[in-house]
Amino acid sequence: MKILKIDGLCKNYPSFRLQDVSFSIDSGTIMGFIGRNGAGKTTTLKAIMNMVHAEKGKIEFFGLDMKEHEHEIKQRVGYAGGIIDYYKKKKISKLLEITARFYDNWDADVCQRYMKLFSLDENKTPSQLSEGMKVKLSLVMALSHRAELLILDEPTSGLDPISRDELLEIFLYLKSKGVSILFSTHITSDLDKCADDISYIRGGRIIYTGSIAGFTGSETLEEVMLRQEKEAFREKLDI
Amino acid sequence: MKNLIYKELRLATPLLTFLFLAFSLMTFIPGYPILCGAFFMSFGIFQAYQLGREDNDILYSVLLPVSKRDVVKGKYLSAVILQLAGFALCALFTLIRMRFMADATVYENNFMMNANLIYLAFVLLIFAAFNHIFIGGFFKSAYAVGKPFVIFVVMNFLIIGIAETLHHLPGMGWMNAQDFSLRHIIIFIGAVLVYSTLTTFSCIISQNRFEKIDL
Repeated sequence: MKILKIDGLCKNYPSFRLQDVSFSIDSGTIMGFIGRNGAGKTTTLKAIMNMVHAEKGKIEFFGLDMKEHEHEIKQRVGYAGGIIDYYKKKKISKLLEITARFYDNWDADVCQRYMKLFSLDENKTPSQLSEGMKVKLSLVMALSHRAELLILDEPTSGLDPISRDELLEIFLYLKSKGVSILFSTHITSDLDKCADDISYIRGGRIIYTGSIAGFTGSETLEEVMLRQEKEAFREKLDI
Repeated sequence: MKNLIYKELRLATPLLTFLFLAFSLMTFIPGYPILCGAFFMSFGIFQAYQLGREDNDILYSVLLPVSKRDVVKGKYLSAVILQLAGFALCALFTLIRMRFMADATVYENNFMMNANLIYLAFVLLIFAAFNHIFIGGFFKSAYAVGKPFVIFVVMNFLIIGIAETLHHLPGMGWMNAQDFSLRHIIIFIGAVLVYSTLTTFSCIISQNRFEKIDL
């Protein structure tokens, strides 16, 4: 079953555009969303979550149209856009208390478990956390309402290697529980460890979407990506 | 919506905004443009928007399981709640001033606007202007607060100027009477209609604008 289906997503900015972005995620799988800086990863994820107004395209979660079922869909999806970048001077406990009220399936025990796992102190404010810990707090918020699909924008950037590895372990654990994950990254080694599929975006266009094996062949993901980006760069130089 | 309003009042509204409701006490000041109280209460709500911007409140709200349209509605409703609380205080103080203090020399010789139903009608008009000009203007970008507030300030003092002038015009002295009359009631009902219509209208426009804003 397709848990997320994006079809023909377009967004125009004066100096950049998303062009006909289409891909889908199966239930219980992990998809890595890769591309170099400025390729359109964050814009795509924000458009999927209706934070960026897409000019064209259809977004369906669980077979439901995002425009018509935004509230219901957000109940079942966890989104973390990197670090916590709001209410940095409020206590984490207050943020969690207020956020919890919005979710039908918010699980205070799960929340406390992740808080402990990530060594987060709820009496602190986000401004007192390091960048890596802010990412973890953002993940706690996304994981505590038993989401069926997690959409995470660069969740591993800013984390130390041990925390990154632990996070990938959590991804695999969640996958075993039937949770699907879409996460953007430019750290390709993260994907080697846990992703089933990838979608590769360059200059606002999807270059490839499908299994990792189908993309890499005998090379590593990093090698293929570097080679392709170099070729694209050389083409630009020729112009 | 209940949760959004809770979030607005508990997280996004600073203590200062609630404290500024005390400017409703300006209703008692003789020889002073008492409508300034409505301006200061609006200024308190403006503070919530300014701090909300620093706190990235819009981003937080949009991440919650609510639609973008509801985020806007929540902002308007919380402003309306604060305004109605301020209005209720103004109404209470107006009643006290009209009923128990009307004979006081300072009020009998008051050259400025008296606290009566016309005053309350103008309080609502100032709040309506705030909702339409400031909150509506804010949702053009969901970020800029300065320009819409300056425009509101100009409009606000225009309204106060009109209110303070009208009762000095020949044949308009009834507007400043310290008792109820049918004309007062009609104007007050008109102001209630303007407030509710303009606020609703502005909310719908803001919802449509906010849908198209990229965060």
